[in-house]
Amino acid sequence: MDTALIFKALEGDRRAIGRAISALEDGGASAYAIRQATAARQGRAHVIGVTGPPGGGKSTLVSAMIRGLRERGMTVAVVAVDPSSPFTGGAVLGDRIRMGERQSDDGVFIRSLASRGHLGGLATAAADVIDLFDAAGFDVVIVETVGAGQSEVEITRFADTRIVVCPPGLGDDVQAIKAGILEIADVFVVTKADLPDSRKTASDLRAMLALRKDQCHLPPVLQVVATSGDGVDKLVEVLLQRPERGKRHAVDGAQEAYRQLSGFIAQDNVANLLGFELVAAAKGTATLRMKVQRKHINFNGKCHGGILFSFGDMALGLACNSHGKLATLVDGQMSISTAVDEGDWLIAHASEVSRSRKIGSYQVRIFRASDNAHIALIHGTVYVLDRPPVGANDE
Amino acid sequence: MAARPPRVIVTKIGFDGHDRGSRVISATLRDAGMEVIYTPPWQEIATVVKLATEEDADVIGISSLATDHLIIPQLMDALRNAGLSDVQVIVGGIVPAKDEARLLEAGVARVFHPGAALDDVVTDVIALTAKRRQLQGESA
Repeated sequence: MDTALIFKALEGDRRAIGRAISALEDGGASAYAIRQATAARQGRAHVIGVTGPPGGGKSTLVSAMIRGLRERGMTVAVVAVDPSSPFTGGAVLGDRIRMGERQSDDGVFIRSLASRGHLGGLATAAADVIDLFDAAGFDVVIVETVGAGQSEVEITRFADTRIVVCPPGLGDDVQAIKAGILEIADVFVVTKADLPDSRKTASDLRAMLALRKDQCHLPPVLQVVATSGDGVDKLVEVLLQRPERGKRHAVDGAQEAYRQLSGFIAQDNVANLLGFELVAAAKGTATLRMKVQRKHINFNGKCHGGILFSFGDMALGLACNSHGKLATLVDGQMSISTAVDEGDWLIAHASEVSRSRKIGSYQVRIFRASDNAHIALIHGTVYVLDRPPVGANDE
Repeated sequence: MAARPPRVIVTKIGFDGHDRGSRVISATLRDAGMEVIYTPPWQEIATVVKLATEEDADVIGISSLATDHLIIPQLMDALRNAGLSDVQVIVGGIVPAKDEARLLEAGVARVFHPGAALDDVVTDVIALTAKRRQLQGESA
């Protein structure tokens, strides 16, 4: 998957997003490039996990939540995970059909993922897909887990807000004090609240919460009839008031650094000539990629060493100029471990070893994207001047 | 890196509600190791296009038992307009011989008639998935 398509996905192009998700599921070089590209842009979306037993009403609840969030003008992406067959690897992904009424709305993007043998209630690529939706600008990302048993709690790691769905009539009040899935909830939703047992289920949950040590941060217990919409407004209000909203692992200054360094590389004639592309940046680091083409190949049929140094030098140059002061290379050495063929994708990751007022020390690791093979290592010393980088004046 | 399973949408467009066939096909493809996005009948063409876009489907299987196949050329146009001409479309069900040529002309890859062997459907979907991924690679 080429970089242009990755950036189209980040701009919200629906077909590009669909294909990028497949590339993330595949793993490999494209997945790496997508992760790098999304890294600088994520951290904005509110990620809501919905988990609970099979047939508990998760999909119907998600459909009702989508409606409530859309009414408030928010765009919504959904990751719906269904199990793969342990015998054949096949899967029937049927959850999105219950979210059917929103399918003509461009403010909603639903993607079904098969778990492909991954345990824990999600799919291997789920975290990457969440990051992609976030980077593509969706306000809310809802993750619906596979129908979960008592200990499929992996969603805890990825969601800002965890909704545990408890349909009525699944057990006595002892179930409510067991360890596991009930402990991870930020919000309990008793679904199918028009069924006779629902009040008892809600009161069992409240009784369980009354035994908790921390009585200051108790999750609310809400009763919802998702098919009619009863109780959905209350749930959406609770979701919108969650304090953690949008604070998910955003890297300080990363977006600003990425924007600035994109400007620098766009003005760099050598980068344009040789095909270097910026995929990620933060203060003091930069990651580039390039595809080795015919024009990079030496008489020996391998990538020319000078191209590798230029590639690493570009990454180093961006990393050391990411602090707003002009820095220039005064000394650099490269060691090469592995020869590179035409067609290989290379990644150069430059990072700061140390930096004082006048001198900075940087390291660049160049590796092959397809298998992470180590290609070359560059160490460089830069001299820091007391004025901004030249390219910064043009903005 | 293991090959990604084929992703197949099994759906029905139009007014016909007889979906036993699409369920049989869904279960067959699942048992052949594919990822099947199953929908109930009565889908709109725009919905199928959105589904194919978001799910990055390799193949769309349309079941048609009551003349719904006549609107399949419209679906093919809608897929082309959405930039999805690489997605392979197969049709299964009751399609009179005189209409089959029209469907193939509109871009449908294969029409299956009553009595078609399930193994043949599986073999075809695997081949069409390979074809679609090759087309996709060329356009990337």
